[in-house]
Amino acid sequence: MIKGGNIRKGSYILFKDQPYLVTKTEFVSPGKGSAFTRARLKNVKTTATQEFTFKSVETVEELDVQSREMQFLYLDDDEVVFMDPRTYEQINVKKALIEDKVGFLTPDVLVFILLYEDEAIGVRFPLNVKLKVTYAEDATAGNRVNAPKKPVTVETGMTVQAPLFVKTGDVIIIDTETGEYISRAN
Amino acid sequence: MKTWQKLRAQPHLLTTYLMREKVIDAIRIFFKQNGFHEVDTPLLAEHPGTEPYLEVFETQLKFDDGEEKRAFLLTSPEYAMKKLLVAGLGNIFQICKCFRNGEGKSGTHNPEFTIMEWYRSNADYTDIMRDCEHLFQSIWDHVTPEEFKKSHPRYRLQHQGKEYDLSTPWERLSVAEAFEKYAGIDKETLISEVALPKAAQQKGYRVDQHTTWESVYNQIFLNEIEPFLGQKKPTIIYDYPASQAALSRKKDSDPRFAERFEFYLVGVELGNAFSELTDADEQERRLLEEEKLRAALGKIVYTHDPDFIDALRAGMPRAGGIAVGIDRIVMLFANASSIKETLFFPVEDMFDE
Repeated sequence: MIKGGNIRKGSYILFKDQPYLVTKTEFVSPGKGSAFTRARLKNVKTTATQEFTFKSVETVEELDVQSREMQFLYLDDDEVVFMDPRTYEQINVKKALIEDKVGFLTPDVLVFILLYEDEAIGVRFPLNVKLKVTYAEDATAGNRVNAPKKPVTVETGMTVQAPLFVKTGDVIIIDTETGEYISRAN
Repeated sequence: MKTWQKLRAQPHLLTTYLMREKVIDAIRIFFKQNGFHEVDTPLLAEHPGTEPYLEVFETQLKFDDGEEKRAFLLTSPEYAMKKLLVAGLGNIFQICKCFRNGEGKSGTHNPEFTIMEWYRSNADYTDIMRDCEHLFQSIWDHVTPEEFKKSHPRYRLQHQGKEYDLSTPWERLSVAEAFEKYAGIDKETLISEVALPKAAQQKGYRVDQHTTWESVYNQIFLNEIEPFLGQKKPTIIYDYPASQAALSRKKDSDPRFAERFEFYLVGVELGNAFSELTDADEQERRLLEEEKLRAALGKIVYTHDPDFIDALRAGMPRAGGIAVGIDRIVMLFANASSIKETLFFPVEDMFDE
């Protein structure tokens, strides 16, 4: 059990008997009244989203989430397929539950699949991932004063804002939480 | 990255930040043209407001002879401004900093923020409603770029991809009407200490023996009503249950409600207004109740301002007054999604993580 005021982005909660991922929270205090937390919730079974405002003092039930280390296999239309590297067992995760993080997935990345009642409800990524740059424009093309960064394309097809010195063929380290460039790995 | 570094690297962002200067210019012009005096009252005081859910910053006032006094940064300049009404200043406004402690993180809160309050003597909250309409139109006239004015009808405001209409009259909805319309809760249920929590429980809200009427009332308001406010035009929501309006006058026609309003645009609460309570005994009774509630809630405890009560006793004119968040107005006119994008030094830049 946690308090409504302690719900944070990334929490998994049971709300009206359904399992939800909290994707955003914001403090609200209506007209000098008591404190509330407005949360954006994603139903991990249906992937439908909704907002709900909790009293800061009400109790909210957290989900009992299990995790299992697995390897990325391939991307389907609306699902992502992972495999246990020891047992070769496969698990499908709805793409809508990973959203913007699909671009971090390469076969080298080990992730934790989050399970609730034996069903995959999400993926916990390592704090950062290494990705190879497949296309970076010539540095001198950018405007150095106003745009010290430029978009580069990485092996998964995702674009990342990187410093001007990053070249095609470089391996770069990216923060999986913010999607931001951290450093060069080579 | 600090905001000053961001601005140095991306000078085009300055437009958003300089909107503050334009909005404040427009506000000053509006009030001076309407015969208001601009006043300047202290932010450091021994007796801050007793609003039960607001927490204050506490400090100490020290003199060189060793004398020490408890001191607080104010959450609003309200008491001092009302004393000036008693002094006979007529119509007054102020733009100043205020401080609220212990709030959560959000795009519409900063512990130190800029507030504007104005008061009209011999007036009530309906006069303040009209001031709000005219003030916003006046700000629009002053800050809107000429090319936008040429290609759009007057008083259209674009914010985060949506267009809003500031022309008069704004939408007006009483709290009781709003609960009926959006939450299906009638007036009698709304103000009943017993029936409202029961109705909330039936709707699926968590209610137990510790759940207060206030928290249920606000939770229904936030979940079922607020998302519909100020979506096309600003919405004025008025006549609050009397328990939610400690500084306002009760309605003659139904004293279970008080003459308080708030107005909303883009789902954001922008201001809070009253027909001011002028009865000293009634005011003192309500402040004492708030002091007790503060203690019960574990908030910093202090006594209410006796000088404020003395001033009311001396005779305050009938008056309407309001507090408005300047940072939120700047955010709307600057087309920013958070007040942090309009503050040169948001709190995150001032304290290490």
